Amino acid sequence: MCTIARAMNQAPVSCIPAGKMSKAKKVLDEAREIQNPELDLADKSISTFEEMPGLLNMINVTRLTLSHNKIQAVPPGLANLVNLEILNLFNNHITELPISLSQMPKLRILNVGMNKLDVLPRGFGAFPVLEVLDLTYNNLSEKNLPGNFFMMETLRALYLADNDFEYLPPEIGQLKNLQILVLRENDLIELPKEIGELTRLRELHIQGNRLTVLPPELGNLDLVSNKAVFRMEFNPWVTPIGDQLQVGISHVIDYIRSETYRYVYNRHQSAKGPPPPIENDKSKKISRVR
Amino acid sequence: MPGVTEMSLDNMFCSRCREGFVPHEKIVNSNGELWHPQCFVCAQCFRPFPDGIFYEFEGYKYCEHDFHVLFAPCCEKCGEFVIGRVIKAMNANWHPGCFRCEECNGELADAGFIKCQGRALCHTCNARVKAGVLGKYICHQCHGVIDDKPLRFRGELYHPYHFNCTACGIELNSDAREVNSRPGYAANEMNELYCLRCHDKMGIPICGACRRPIEERVVTALGKHWHVEHFVCAKCEKPFLGHRHYEKKGLAYCETHYHQLFGNLCFVCNQVISGDVFTALNKAWCVHHFACAFCDQKMNQKTKFFEFDLKPACKKCYDKFPQELKKRMRRMYDLNPKRIPV
Repeated sequence: MCTIARAMNQAPVSCIPAGKMSKAKKVLDEAREIQNPELDLADKSISTFEEMPGLLNMINVTRLTLSHNKIQAVPPGLANLVNLEILNLFNNHITELPISLSQMPKLRILNVGMNKLDVLPRGFGAFPVLEVLDLTYNNLSEKNLPGNFFMMETLRALYLADNDFEYLPPEIGQLKNLQILVLRENDLIELPKEIGELTRLRELHIQGNRLTVLPPELGNLDLVSNKAVFRMEFNPWVTPIGDQLQVGISHVIDYIRSETYRYVYNRHQSAKGPPPPIENDKSKKISRVR
Repeated sequence: MPGVTEMSLDNMFCSRCREGFVPHEKIVNSNGELWHPQCFVCAQCFRPFPDGIFYEFEGYKYCEHDFHVLFAPCCEKCGEFVIGRVIKAMNANWHPGCFRCEECNGELADAGFIKCQGRALCHTCNARVKAGVLGKYICHQCHGVIDDKPLRFRGELYHPYHFNCTACGIELNSDAREVNSRPGYAANEMNELYCLRCHDKMGIPICGACRRPIEERVVTALGKHWHVEHFVCAKCEKPFLGHRHYEKKGLAYCETHYHQLFGNLCFVCNQVISGDVFTALNKAWCVHHFACAFCDQKMNQKTKFFEFDLKPACKKCYDKFPQELKKRMRRMYDLNPKRIPV
């Protein structure tokens, strides 16, 4: 609407309530004035990028925080901010991301948690230097990940909690630098053995899924040192794992490293029954609200 | 001589032809034996002795030439007759000046020699040759083979037992240390030897890496002394050369490897944390990078925050979480209260 107004060569007419406009605009003006490369625009009731005039030309910006707004769409032009290292879009109403984001040369931390993402764009895994990707609390599953998702070799933290994964693709093993993997409260039925290739992993959250067994390869990882965290509660574990968990995580790890467990695991895999039912009720998730 | 005056021609006869002497005939007298002058000749060539010089052997007299030809030894080296002192050695005869060490060519006549693999050698060369074969050193003092560890002193090798400690006088062993008593002088004529005990007491620092004394710059760290070039990172083994080092369990590390090994990389910038470290939630942060993971507001030690998947959430953000999520978080916490919310 605004662009049409200009095209008609009339005075620009704002289609946004003046109060809202000034809030975001004030931050931008101040930032421009003092050349501040970090933009804090959290909780400013922003619905569209048009409320932030000139933002896409502020190419010296290194951090852009837009959490707790009502943004539905991210313009492809955001990728103009070639110096952006941190982009925080947590808790918005985003349903789709532009593919251009994955071309941003310096983007290291991307937080799109608590949005309404049902799918990631094709080619999304092309980020050259992405280190932390937070996709917590969306509607994602293995079925709507792009083919190159696990090509992000620079990734050190991947947050996928509160999504709809039933299977974790075996390509996860390609993320050699991964130190943190969060899969809390998905619908995971099993984990691939390739998870045992993530030798740098020191934080693994798989609590609240439908897991019954763990791949013995998980025993290759160092998840019991004082620098590691392994959360695995609230899964329908087979009895021996459940029993070990009662006494502690280190007992679980010792157990899955044993020959006995290898036998239990193989027998369990060959006599595969139906997967356990979905326990998590997601109907109230705000990411589902249209 | 009364005997001569009493002698009469009747009882005198020539020692060679056994004939008597005619009165007024010339008689040759040599050591009490008498000859006709024509009978006093070389037993070999029957000619008078030149200049009256003769050589006697087994009762016969020979002129010099024939005596040499018949009896004198030939020198093994020069082939000439050996007159005077004959050296009998190595199954041959030698002029004293011709019998020499086959290694160093020194005269052996008075020094004595040792037969070594068919060669005559002086003691020194014999020891050296023998040691060379055995791969051992020769003592610079006694020239004997050094069977045990040699002691190096002023550039030469010795049996340690030839020396005594400069301080306590005890006989030295190979642990003894050579000390440059005038630091800065390149020449080693000033060097002196000390037993290990005295050396340690002298306060000369010993390098914790190579166990040798440190005579130049000393680095003191980890309760030990080090050669500057021997004080290195326990991981990459590069010397610190004055750069900052980090200690962990009695080992020193360079900044990069300390943080690589012990994990003090900032969760936000992924760089080594210089200065104060903020540690929480199994992570570390630079003090100025510690912020809420959801709104990026800076936090400090006093800020209350909530834990969400081991990420820090400020109270404002936590309050904005949907009710259903907070409910789930509470349920998980209630069922498994060992950890979570801070």
